[in-house]
Amino acid sequence: MNVAATMEPAEFRLVIPSQTRYLNLVTGLAKRASLVAGLDDATAAKVSIAVDEAVTNVILHAYHGEGEHSVELELRFTEKALEIHILHSGQGLRGDQVVLPDPKEYIKHPRKGGLGLLLMSRFMDEVRFKADEASGRNECCLIKKLD
Amino acid sequence: MADLSIEVRQAGDVAVLLPAGFINAHTVREFEEALEGLVRDGRYTILLNCRNLNYISSAGLGAIMGLIETVREHQGDILLSDLQPNVFAIFDTLGFTQLYRVFGGEDQALAAVTPERKG
Repeated sequence: MNVAATMEPAEFRLVIPSQTRYLNLVTGLAKRASLVAGLDDATAAKVSIAVDEAVTNVILHAYHGEGEHSVELELRFTEKALEIHILHSGQGLRGDQVVLPDPKEYIKHPRKGGLGLLLMSRFMDEVRFKADEASGRNECCLIKKLD
Repeated sequence: MADLSIEVRQAGDVAVLLPAGFINAHTVREFEEALEGLVRDGRYTILLNCRNLNYISSAGLGAIMGLIETVREHQGDILLSDLQPNVFAIFDTLGFTQLYRVFGGEDQALAAVTPERKG
């Protein structure tokens, strides 16, 4: 039986423990989701890297490496974009708190850290952070357009 | 299959490190220890042959960045070869191809740093 694909927006969620051992699973999912959305291999690889960086930030910085929390990934497939929302209840980050390093300065003064946000912003079309202090629910939203 | 395995061999004065798999926040310590072990042993010219490296995140880049000054202070260097397209994209996007010498293959990299291999 042939089931026609619909163009209705679709979404699903995955919840993982806040442990780096699951990063490979998440990046594999992000890559596959990108291909399903219609992105090419090279772009799918970039999306998977951006997701790795975002989830790593949550585990190491929002949850300070504590492994007993949860990280929720919501994938939304729309006609125009693939959206990956990463939700957590750790320490939040607002968009106005994000400072991207300058690659030229970074190369002059090499050091560890600081490149994850830069990779995310370079590889995605939009990166948004929302911190809701009232609910304690925080979100990083990664958007890749399909055009 | 393990997320990351690392092979190290010596080619003349050059330590060749071959990571296979994925370097991310989960596996980076293993990668970092391999690099630090070479530096501790006084092997300051290091070639990262990335032919079997599927993926490297900023955690892995940080490990390389953390040692570049040390090896150069000892007249060594960290070279890269055989980068898969997505791994090259990461280095190139961040402008790191200006900081590291990148070669298509291991032989070219070794020839560039080993005088007797030239011509």
